[in-house]
Amino acid sequence: MDELLREFLPIVILTILAGGLGLILMLSAVIIAVRKPDPEKVSAYECGFNAFDDARMKFEVRFYLVSILFIIFDLEVAFLFPWAVAFGEMSMTAFWSMMVFLAVLTIGFAYEWKKGALEWQ
Amino acid sequence: MSLTATLLLSVAVLVALIVAAGIFTWAERRLLGFLQERLGPNRVGPFGFLQWVADTVKLIAKEDAPPAGADVAAFRLAPALAAAPVLAGFGVVAFAPGLVVADLDMGVLFVMGMLALTVWAMVLGAWGSRNRYAMLGGLRAAAQMLAYESFLGLSLMGCVLLAGSFRMGDIVAAQQDGAWFILIQPLGAVLFFIAGIAAAHRLPFDLQESEQDLVAGFMTEYSGMSFALFFLGEYIAVLLVAALFTTLFLGGWAGPILPAPVWFGLKVGAICALFVWLRAALPRPRYDQLIGFAWKVALPLALLNLLVTGWIAVGDAP
Amino acid sequence: MSLDTATTSALQALRNRFGRAVLAEQPTAEGFPVVWLSPEVWQDAHRFLRDEIAQPFPLLADLWAIDETGRRHRDGQPASGITLCSHLISLARNADIRLKLATQGRAPSVAGIYANADWYEREAFDMFGLDFGRETRRILMPPTWDGHPLRKAHYARATEKPPFVMTDRFFDAEERATVTDPAELGLPVARDGEELMVLNFGPHHPSTHGVFRILLGLDGEEVVWAWPDIGYHHRGVEKMAERQTWHGFIPYTDRVDYLGGVISELPYLLAVERLCGITVPERAQMIRVMLCEFYRILNHLLFYGTMAQDVGQMSPVFYMFTDREKAYDAVAAITGARMHPAFFRIGGVAMDLPRGWQGLVQEFLNWMPARLDEYQRMVLNSGLFRARTVGIGAYDTDTALGWGTTGPGLRATGCDWDLRKARPCSGYENFDFDVPTGSRGDCFDRTRVRADEMRESLKIIRQCLENMPEGPIKADHPLTTPPPRGAMQSDIETLIPHFLQMTWGTHVPAGEATGQIEGHRGLTQYAIVSDGGAHSHRTRIRTPSFAHLQMLPKIAPGMTVADLVAHIASIDFVMSDVDR
Repeated sequence: MDELLREFLPIVILTILAGGLGLILMLSAVIIAVRKPDPEKVSAYECGFNAFDDARMKFEVRFYLVSILFIIFDLEVAFLFPWAVAFGEMSMTAFWSMMVFLAVLTIGFAYEWKKGALEWQ
Repeated sequence: MSLTATLLLSVAVLVALIVAAGIFTWAERRLLGFLQERLGPNRVGPFGFLQWVADTVKLIAKEDAPPAGADVAAFRLAPALAAAPVLAGFGVVAFAPGLVVADLDMGVLFVMGMLALTVWAMVLGAWGSRNRYAMLGGLRAAAQMLAYESFLGLSLMGCVLLAGSFRMGDIVAAQQDGAWFILIQPLGAVLFFIAGIAAAHRLPFDLQESEQDLVAGFMTEYSGMSFALFFLGEYIAVLLVAALFTTLFLGGWAGPILPAPVWFGLKVGAICALFVWLRAALPRPRYDQLIGFAWKVALPLALLNLLVTGWIAVGDAP
Repeated sequence: MSLDTATTSALQALRNRFGRAVLAEQPTAEGFPVVWLSPEVWQDAHRFLRDEIAQPFPLLADLWAIDETGRRHRDGQPASGITLCSHLISLARNADIRLKLATQGRAPSVAGIYANADWYEREAFDMFGLDFGRETRRILMPPTWDGHPLRKAHYARATEKPPFVMTDRFFDAEERATVTDPAELGLPVARDGEELMVLNFGPHHPSTHGVFRILLGLDGEEVVWAWPDIGYHHRGVEKMAERQTWHGFIPYTDRVDYLGGVISELPYLLAVERLCGITVPERAQMIRVMLCEFYRILNHLLFYGTMAQDVGQMSPVFYMFTDREKAYDAVAAITGARMHPAFFRIGGVAMDLPRGWQGLVQEFLNWMPARLDEYQRMVLNSGLFRARTVGIGAYDTDTALGWGTTGPGLRATGCDWDLRKARPCSGYENFDFDVPTGSRGDCFDRTRVRADEMRESLKIIRQCLENMPEGPIKADHPLTTPPPRGAMQSDIETLIPHFLQMTWGTHVPAGEATGQIEGHRGLTQYAIVSDGGAHSHRTRIRTPSFAHLQMLPKIAPGMTVADLVAHIASIDFVMSDVDR
């Protein structure tokens, strides 16, 4: 645990500093920048018109199936990471089992493609 | 490394990055000017070099008014989120042997994770703006991530497989024995570069802000410092992708005569110039075309590349 | 002449079919018949000419009204309060016919027959209060406007009214009037139970090429319906024409299409010169042609660059501005101006070509072809550009004509109708050039046709350079305005007209005349009515952009927002040309 902490501490420090930098810059702008809002200035940009209704609405995204596929493939990639790193000291069984895994996935992918899951809409 | 040393190095890296991003904006505009038969900024300082300083001062002093219906917390948080992850991503980048803030054994993974986080900022900013153009931009950013993330990881897997490590230093070292991985993994390099452009949200894959149809996309309502932070995030992301590409495919800091960090900087600069060149040259695809390309062309190619690499590596193994 | 027989037979067919309902044939100096119809056959006659006659008239080029109040010279015309005119063109006959209807403020609508009559009738309502028995929404004027501007009774200048003061109440009322409710317009707010996002696209948008507003109903990124809203650039040019002298109106024509330079001057002057009976000398004609082709290239370069930019390609527009500067070097040396030269005159051109003009023109001719080759590689041959434009916004020839589309937008569908070939004016018949056409009628073909047209224009300019005749640059005619300076300084017979023209204005003989040319965007037509005075009684400007925008609601559904931007760019309009 200590080991892990020591390894990750620098990156945690850097992340905090980076986040802090963003906040400092924002804060400095708040202090320095002029602020004279008026109703026209703060109305949402809609090409010169007042917006019709709320911009937040139910919105159809056409890539529902693609996003499901995406989750599967991202998981697959996650499995590949340790496999790739350990490639050097791996047995042939490990190699071939991954090949089988990939083959199954590829067949599934080809099937999805053929079914039109990758088509727009 | 002691805590003080870490702190000092961290601050130095952050400052260097911000200055580098500033200079990059100037260099990009000059380079674009050169490519487009015009001058670019040439008034502030020698060759207009101080333009980025003037721009920064202007952006800090500029009014930044959140729109009336905005979700102020989300609206304000998003810009800070845009820059922080990519800045942190540089924590694992090895600029020279030993010159790295945190030499994690999962370095490449960490960078990829941080790159993916920038999409968060975009979607959050779009949502917080409560503006239709911003909404469309934010959704495009999300859709685009589904496109390039599918093969971003796979395309660099060949290098990892050859180096046997995610650690930046190990990958560079692996290339010192043999050839640069761009020679062994040309297809992987091309695919990674394409995914990298999309991950950095640069033209031709800047669909989430594509000013021709969405005005400025998710950034429509942003001005002043908040805009500058998004801008900073984008440029740091380009530098990060370039650094990753240099490490994975161009032998990292390695090079004759000149000191290691200089080589690293030169290689990163060359990749950045390539980014600018592509921006000047290419039209932008529609986002369904990008998704189609990612899933139907890039992903199968990346898989193939990995399989062939594995096959050959197994054949070579004793 | 074959052209005459073709039109006469159309008139004859109309007489045979409708008998006494064809009230009169108006004697004019035009090359086509002008026929007065009785109101009950107005619609049938249009249907007859569009659908039933052999070699039909598929193109409603224009539809407009004339306020006859105070007009003295109306020999042979039925009594009328407001006259409605429609101008039909047959491509097969290469002939026109103009139908007129005497009204007292009510007229039957032909929007069900010619789809593009819709906006024209709305405009006639807006400008004249002509009631077509259909929706009365203003199209060019703001909804709060009081009165109908092109009526003779309506004031023409702000100085005829008390000073304007902006009050909060007035401002709020104007703001409220701009609110558009899609449901009120009869546009669906949902599809398959999914609520649509209603998006204001323009007038403050980088890709609408001016102050053009489109209301979009979006399902995701797909356009379900588009509702164009124009009028933000309306300046009342047609009204100004009634207050300016014939000569003084020339600079305004430049600004109708601000990218066209001298091109819009030509149809106006063709009409005026037809009424005056002036024949323009050869040298002046060729100077006119050369300058028109320069401006055609200037416009197409801007189109080409912005087209590429609207699909995300950043650089070409910068290269093309370099080329435009080269062209402007020659144009500015000849005319003394860049965008709005006002260089043509009634009866000729303002001044002779400067010494050394050949060098500048030659330089441009040497410069341009290699650049066009490079753009071919950079834009048209780019895979991404093709992916964004091939098959996008495609329509066929019939659809194009049905919506009044002319010019490159029509030629991209494979129809090679170009007025420079079909009805050469100003000496175009003496030039050797081709008419590029497309086949699919999509965004890509529209781009390619214009790219090829630039090469043809270069050909024409080269021929001008090689064959420029010597001779006068102004006609020897009493109505040439201003008269040739040498003659004015030496003889009293010319000095007097000069004095009259410069003080009162040129008195153009009473009558009606039309000038048509193949502008850079398509058919540009000026139909003028003179009552014998120093001012026009009515100047009707038919601009191609107005017609081209009208098709948008038909083409847009099914596109994504990005496609719509590409399509809008490929139409190549400027809002000043739409709104006038």
